[in-house]
Amino acid sequence: MKYLQRRLAHSILLLISASVFCFLLSDLAPGSFFDEMKLNPQISAGTVAALRSEYGLDQALPVRYGLWVKSVLRGEWGYSFAYNSPVRSLLIIRARNTLLLTSLAMLLAWLTALPLGVWIASRPGRWDDRLSMAGTSWLLAVPELVLALGLLYVVIRTRALPAGGMVSVRFENLSLRAKICDLSAHLVVPLTVLVLASLPILVRHVRASMTEVLQAPFIQAACGHGIGQTRLLFRYALPAAANPLISLLGLSVAGLMSGSLLVEVITGWPGLGPLLLEASMSRDLYVVVGVVMASTVFMILGSLLADVMLVIFDPRVRAD
Amino acid sequence: MGIETAVQPAIKPALVKTSGLSKKYSQGSPFSRKKFAVDALVDVNFEIASGCLTALVGESGSGKSTLAVCLAMLEKPDAGEVWFGGEEISRRSDRELASLRPKIQMVFQDSAEALNPRFSAAQIIAEPLAIQRCRSLKQLRTRACELMEEVGLCADWADRRPLQFSGGQRQRLAIARAIALKPSFLILDESLSGLDLSTQAQILNLLLDLQTAHGLTYLLISHDFSLVGQVADFVAVMHKGRIVEHGARWQVIGNPQHDQTRRLLDSVHVMGRSFQAAHGGRQR
Amino acid sequence: MQGRRKIIASLVFLFFLHVAILFAGFVASCDPATQNREFPFAPPTHLHFVDVRGGLHFRPFVYPIVSQPGALYQYEETRERAYAVRLFVRGPEYKVAGLFSSRLHLFGVDPPAQIFLAGTDNYGRDQFSRILFGGQMSLAAGLLATGISLFLGLIVGCIAGFYGKWIDESVMRLVELFMVLPWLYLLLAVRSFLPLHLTPAQTFFLLIGVIGTIGWARPARLIRGVVLSARSRKYVMASRGFGASDLYIVRRHVLPHTYGVLLTQAALLVPQYIVAEVTMSFFGLGLSEPRPSWGNLLAVLQQYNVVVSYWWMFAPALALVLVNIGYLGVANAFHEQLQSGSM
Repeated sequence: MKYLQRRLAHSILLLISASVFCFLLSDLAPGSFFDEMKLNPQISAGTVAALRSEYGLDQALPVRYGLWVKSVLRGEWGYSFAYNSPVRSLLIIRARNTLLLTSLAMLLAWLTALPLGVWIASRPGRWDDRLSMAGTSWLLAVPELVLALGLLYVVIRTRALPAGGMVSVRFENLSLRAKICDLSAHLVVPLTVLVLASLPILVRHVRASMTEVLQAPFIQAACGHGIGQTRLLFRYALPAAANPLISLLGLSVAGLMSGSLLVEVITGWPGLGPLLLEASMSRDLYVVVGVVMASTVFMILGSLLADVMLVIFDPRVRAD
Repeated sequence: MGIETAVQPAIKPALVKTSGLSKKYSQGSPFSRKKFAVDALVDVNFEIASGCLTALVGESGSGKSTLAVCLAMLEKPDAGEVWFGGEEISRRSDRELASLRPKIQMVFQDSAEALNPRFSAAQIIAEPLAIQRCRSLKQLRTRACELMEEVGLCADWADRRPLQFSGGQRQRLAIARAIALKPSFLILDESLSGLDLSTQAQILNLLLDLQTAHGLTYLLISHDFSLVGQVADFVAVMHKGRIVEHGARWQVIGNPQHDQTRRLLDSVHVMGRSFQAAHGGRQR
Repeated sequence: MQGRRKIIASLVFLFFLHVAILFAGFVASCDPATQNREFPFAPPTHLHFVDVRGGLHFRPFVYPIVSQPGALYQYEETRERAYAVRLFVRGPEYKVAGLFSSRLHLFGVDPPAQIFLAGTDNYGRDQFSRILFGGQMSLAAGLLATGISLFLGLIVGCIAGFYGKWIDESVMRLVELFMVLPWLYLLLAVRSFLPLHLTPAQTFFLLIGVIGTIGWARPARLIRGVVLSARSRKYVMASRGFGASDLYIVRRHVLPHTYGVLLTQAALLVPQYIVAEVTMSFFGLGLSEPRPSWGNLLAVLQQYNVVVSYWWMFAPALALVLVNIGYLGVANAFHEQLQSGSM
């Protein structure tokens, strides 16, 4: 428990430093946020001045940061001028969609990579080992951008699945079962791209970790006791190999987040990705900061999840 | 030159002297709350007689290596002073110490870390000369070959890498490197550990020859009392950061005063009594 | 030995790829900016080896195409006269590395026939040439940004590893911070905070600067590890005892240990940064028209009709994959060499 407490405190510290960093970055941006707004004829100079003082833009940096933190904690995360709505409502919906996509992708990727990696590690040097190494090399060489475009091409040509977006137009009118089918159909393309993109690295790491463990003497002893292959692999070897894999899980969230940004933009999935892209192009400051903080929160949650799993799976950590 | 510990025999001038030397090592990062300090040295008062071989014995963790690096000016003590040849050296800045550095050198235990595996033998030996900018490149190589011959290595091997030498030969390389700057004080930190007995004997003979030839003062650090008993003039015993016994060899071995000394003597393979009988009565 | 052969094979492959892209003007048969308004979205030219009478030729030849009347973007070949593909022809002028100009091209056909190895885009511009010239931009971006990241990482890693204690702690916290922010999000955010309306040259260098600068964290951590372990070696302590300065120790004893890490990181980072530049240009935040870059070449695929009908517009993706294969092969080989300890 002490370990978890320490990790939680560490994560909170990290979150705070990320917020400081974001704030500093946005502050150091050449040209103030309101320059673009001033060019907009629909907004009067009086409004600009009022907004400036409301957001405390005339005051010193630490004061501004303090004001910003206070408003964030109150639940007011700024205002988006491009969307003409508070950032909070935008962010919540988009973050939910991204969370859905990325958590499913992570689950599927690991559910595929673990058995695959374990099985391959148990048969070193055979044709399937070499095939998998070659396959992962080739897959690694294809960037997510190309994967996404390619899959879209296939889907559009075959008309098998919807080619973008999250739900169909008639979503609201469908029954619950139909809703789930519709959502799943839309999920196939982005999920496949994300899973295919993460798979090579995961499989390689699982295989490497398992190979190392399988050479340990205690495995040979267990073999000598006549324990069956499957049980040996999954109940004896895998838990011993779990440590580096769990840290990999924490780290793989980073790649998954960046990948999901790209995939969301290309497939039109309404998540944080397209939001950030549009906000970047229109210099919608508070949205940008909000999205970056949201993605950081996801990353931190991912690594906290890895820490929790470490506590569950590694008794040595519990004893600490 | 008052000496607080055991009675010294015929007085030889002290080359190195420490008084009240203390050093702590703290574990843990500056930002973490958990920090526990290890007392590596506690109030060490110690003298090393000039021209002699003083042995420093103790179990691992007793602070021998810490004392060595403090004497070699590689780390600064937390408290206390170190005197070398009458000059105080522990409070000096690096620049002031630069001229003194050639006089105090160290030879480490043979390991993968003691010599840079990418350097050739000549480069290793000539490194101190190159750093001190003593000579031109050609002269460096000539001098390196000379030193190799002096320590008993064939000069044709000047371009070999350390891994191509045996353990004993590597220690000869390390010794050649240490004497390149013509030091007056040599610290041998477990230099003979990990070598087989015949190699140990050869290296020991080399060291004794060099001592006679160059008038060197040695501090031999070891955990092996049997080795010490063969060559030391003076013996000091360390335990948990303190010097618990210090005196001439025949005194410390023949009449150990402290528990720790007795324990160390008893652990020598040869039976304690017979060991004492074999070495305790002889003077050098 | 096997490992060394792999490194050499991958390096040779990469070398030829880079040379082809460096001499884009020579390898390409057309000028990338020339618009052939009569042939928008023309498919890749068919190379024939068998003529109408059934005779086999070694040298491939092409037929000129004309657009079909009444149909949009449909072409057919006129088989009146065959135009052989010749090597080392004179063609449009180009500059090599901006220094001297030449008219020599690797291959080409006589007018009025055209050879579009990868088809044309909606302005009738030869895609093959645009891919080669775009490769110059994308590769340069990847290489330069990698240089920046490695340089920053080396300096920070050396300082952190060498001086230790609180400097090391602070640097490691900073590294953690940069690694907790997802890189594409960070890239977009930083890009958004910088001026949007810039000249193409400024955009290019700004993009390289941003990509390179935010990627300092991982190299810095790896270098710091190497420096820490090198610094604790006894021979470093011995050098201090000889009066060596910090700079000497870093130069002679520490830096040689970093070369292996630097090379492997370079081989890994270059393709990542190329993909980063391509992604940014794809989004429209990087290089934009008319300068070709693989990113903005692929951006046209965001249009539904292009994806459905004009499959040859995927060609820049193939180029990207080839570059990735080359670099990942090198990275793998380096990694294996490092593991076996021969570096």
